[in-house]
Amino acid sequence: MKVKSPKDFWAGLMFMGFGLFFTVWAVIYYQMGTAVRMGPAYFPTVLGGMLAVLGLIVFFGSFAVEGPPVPEFSYRPLILISLGCVLYGYLMKPLGLVGATAALVYVSALGGHEFKWKEVTVLYLILVFFSWAVFVKGLTLPFPVWPEFMGY
Amino acid sequence: MLALCASTLALPQDWPSRPVHLVVPYAPGGPVDLSARLIAPKLQQALGQPVVVENKPGAGGNIGADFVAKSSPDGHTLVMGAIATHAINPALYPKLAYDPVRDFRHIALLVQVPNVLVVNNELPARSVAELVALAKRQPGKLDFASGSTGSTGHLAGELFKQITGTELVHVPYKGSAPAVADLLAGRVHLMFDNLASAAPNIQAGKLRALAVTTVRRSSFLPELPTLDESGLKGFEMTTWWGLMAPAKTPQPVVDRISQEALRAIESPDLRERWRAMGSELPGARTPAEFTAFVERERKLYAELVKRSGATVD
Amino acid sequence: MEIFHNLYIGFVVAVHPVNVMYCFIGVILGTLIGVLPGIGPVATIAMLLPITFNLNPVAALIMLAGIYYGAQYGGSTTAILVNIPGESSSVVTCLDGYQMARQGRAGPALAIAALGSFFAGCVATLIIAVAAPPLAEVALKFGPAEYFSLMVFGLVAATVLAHGSLIKAIAMVLLGLLLGLVGTDVNSGVLRFTFGVPELSDGIGFVIVAMGMFGTAEIIANLELKDQREIFTSKVTHLYPTKQDLKDSWAAVLRGTALGSMLGILPGGGALLASFGAYTLEKKVSKHPERFGKGAIEGVAGPESANNAGAQTSFIPMLTLGIPSNAVMALMIGALMIQGIAPGPQVMNEKPELFWGLIASMWVGNLMLVVLNLPLIGMWVKLLTVPYRYLYPSILVFMAIGVFSLSNNAFDVLIMAVFGVLGYICVKLECEPAPMILGFILGPLMEENLRRAMLLSRGDPFVFVSPNKPISLAFLVASTILLVIVAMPAIRKKREEVFVEEG
Repeated sequence: MKVKSPKDFWAGLMFMGFGLFFTVWAVIYYQMGTAVRMGPAYFPTVLGGMLAVLGLIVFFGSFAVEGPPVPEFSYRPLILISLGCVLYGYLMKPLGLVGATAALVYVSALGGHEFKWKEVTVLYLILVFFSWAVFVKGLTLPFPVWPEFMGY
Repeated sequence: MLALCASTLALPQDWPSRPVHLVVPYAPGGPVDLSARLIAPKLQQALGQPVVVENKPGAGGNIGADFVAKSSPDGHTLVMGAIATHAINPALYPKLAYDPVRDFRHIALLVQVPNVLVVNNELPARSVAELVALAKRQPGKLDFASGSTGSTGHLAGELFKQITGTELVHVPYKGSAPAVADLLAGRVHLMFDNLASAAPNIQAGKLRALAVTTVRRSSFLPELPTLDESGLKGFEMTTWWGLMAPAKTPQPVVDRISQEALRAIESPDLRERWRAMGSELPGARTPAEFTAFVERERKLYAELVKRSGATVD
Repeated sequence: MEIFHNLYIGFVVAVHPVNVMYCFIGVILGTLIGVLPGIGPVATIAMLLPITFNLNPVAALIMLAGIYYGAQYGGSTTAILVNIPGESSSVVTCLDGYQMARQGRAGPALAIAALGSFFAGCVATLIIAVAAPPLAEVALKFGPAEYFSLMVFGLVAATVLAHGSLIKAIAMVLLGLLLGLVGTDVNSGVLRFTFGVPELSDGIGFVIVAMGMFGTAEIIANLELKDQREIFTSKVTHLYPTKQDLKDSWAAVLRGTALGSMLGILPGGGALLASFGAYTLEKKVSKHPERFGKGAIEGVAGPESANNAGAQTSFIPMLTLGIPSNAVMALMIGALMIQGIAPGPQVMNEKPELFWGLIASMWVGNLMLVVLNLPLIGMWVKLLTVPYRYLYPSILVFMAIGVFSLSNNAFDVLIMAVFGVLGYICVKLECEPAPMILGFILGPLMEENLRRAMLLSRGDPFVFVSPNKPISLAFLVASTILLVIVAMPAIRKKREEVFVEEG
């Protein structure tokens, strides 16, 4: 059997995966209750089951109906953009606004097509200043601006 | 010897040396947050450094409380610890990451608000006695609403059931606003709500108030009897919160903050605002009293939560 | 003619210079934070509350209200320009608004959003003035059974949002429903799917999911274009809507306003449902539904009018009953209580200048917003011509700051990144995010109300269709009808496909 629609093939698998996960987890860990007095597991189990079934339908459908192939994944932007965001969050406390913004700007810029140090640095300085002006000064959000070792 | 005395009695030379963060473990806009934002400028004036309110909501307040418990005890991080974070949640959450008594210095109890027992106007009960009689005639038929499982409204209801021996059905909501909406419409019959938020509806005659949950009558609605007076002897429940800091925060710092905080809430404008919240001046006046208070509350709710069967897992 | 007398009082208050000034400050601030992703009116109003203590109550309320509905205007700006919903109700505007921007029609999109919002705001203000108390009574008639049926209807309508495979759309709705269940179960207090992570105990934040699935995913997808064609055609066609655009939109604006005004009254998600509902409605009544998702202006006009109308009418339960319809209203109640005014049934009578002054100033505020926003369109469109390599890190910074500021917690940004990845995968696999988002919002509400309705009826499942709950019955019947309408073409299409295969 040849997969005729790769997108649906993988989509079906994804749905089945999610559906089964929720159903199984709910059944194991939470109480079902009855239809008239539903417990915390009831809804997730039913919905997860439905999702898994739909996933199955989509999965089998991928063998029957023609569909376009899955476009290529571009791992570099995917990883770098995500990484940039995560770093921003976790570096905020130790490195302050200054450090976190640097991480996000430089890492995400690396995920793009061109990376010129001077350009990115200018962008970074503008963004950091703007963030500070609008968010810390303007909206009085309690972000640490400078890294911890430099004092507040 | 002299050095030892000096270090225990004197304020650290440079405290506060940078902005003080007052963590509110709830989302902005709620009563805890509002009172924090009211007191922060006063503390700022008194201490000479900015006092910044930082909201760290989530998990019923546990995230914010835990964050401060594990913060550096240098007097620059404080938290508004509340009944939820320091009395109820320790009983509700089996694996709480902090100990409400040992991991904190309890600086100043700031707010104590009573709850009030309100019923829908159509309910044929005009007093607590009538309500109890009604409930006994129809076990399992009356619904009481609350803002969430494990909230003071819920536990007040459980305590009520215990003492009166009645069977009420608990209907939890996401926040007290939808609960009040259903109460107004008559879909649920009664509720233990925060005094300040219930007051407008009571005064407009949309809801009937039967009693307050404190032992002393409220100066806000003095005509309301207390549950204690109405036959539920010893019923005392308040919603409270106050300033706390990590456990190893130096005593002089704690004393100084306590002083300034109490002075702040006695100032005329905060007094007025506190009254509008339904809060009397709090019962515990010193850090030591506050700690004792927290311990008592923790024991009380440990018992109550266990009996109610409420759990988070 | 009491209403004229009241409106007169109101306008006298509203045009008082001090109040006008605070209205202006409010709407400007609101627009700004509406544009900034993540930061919303809730956080801003909370931070400004201490300042309001020193103002008189009318000015304070006028300013805070201005922030709130100003944010609705601003939220559509980011939705259209960069596919990031600045406000939860702007999610739907992303669908067609962003596509219009990519086609060089950002100007008309922004203009229609502003004009539609203005119209809706005026009408809604009028509705509040005329019918606030009776409408509040209607709101009270919605109990758990009615909410549940409304949600069911909303979910069936969600499938209309999709322009691709119906089955995959339903699957995405289910996925959204399930993800929405993460967190504390209201009815039992049990923590579900939190894996011991405390930050998940209140569920995954909607803003975070929306920004990840729409914003981050879009950026990653855009960066794939190897030849770095400009993302936005620098050939901007018109700055303002054409006659044709206006002709296409006016009916959508009317429908959206009506829908939004009705749904906004319902506490809890009313205004949000309004924008989704308006989109669905437009798609269903359109003669060319296939245009939706590709830049149909009705897909912007309808939802934008709906969400602004909903934003205004959501004041009704707060002003008449003292019940907040959403977090912002709860804050306003807080602001009033601190001032010593207890919002509730008596405010209308005891403090008419407060009530009517606020209402009149809403009209003033809407006028200011439209006057502010229209000229800004030129600036926004110019912004789009900035080379993408400068634009996207900036967008990311604003998104990250916005999300981080929600709870000062790095975990939230992590979740945003995770949903960015998921969104990217979904784009690749042709699974649409919009139905998932709707399911995400409606899921927990639906379950909560289902179980509560069953609890109150002591286990009687017929409570949803009982004759003394006409509203609930009506919505369920409508859902069934809508389901059939939606399914019919899909079934017909599948039969055709099968026949083609065989033939």
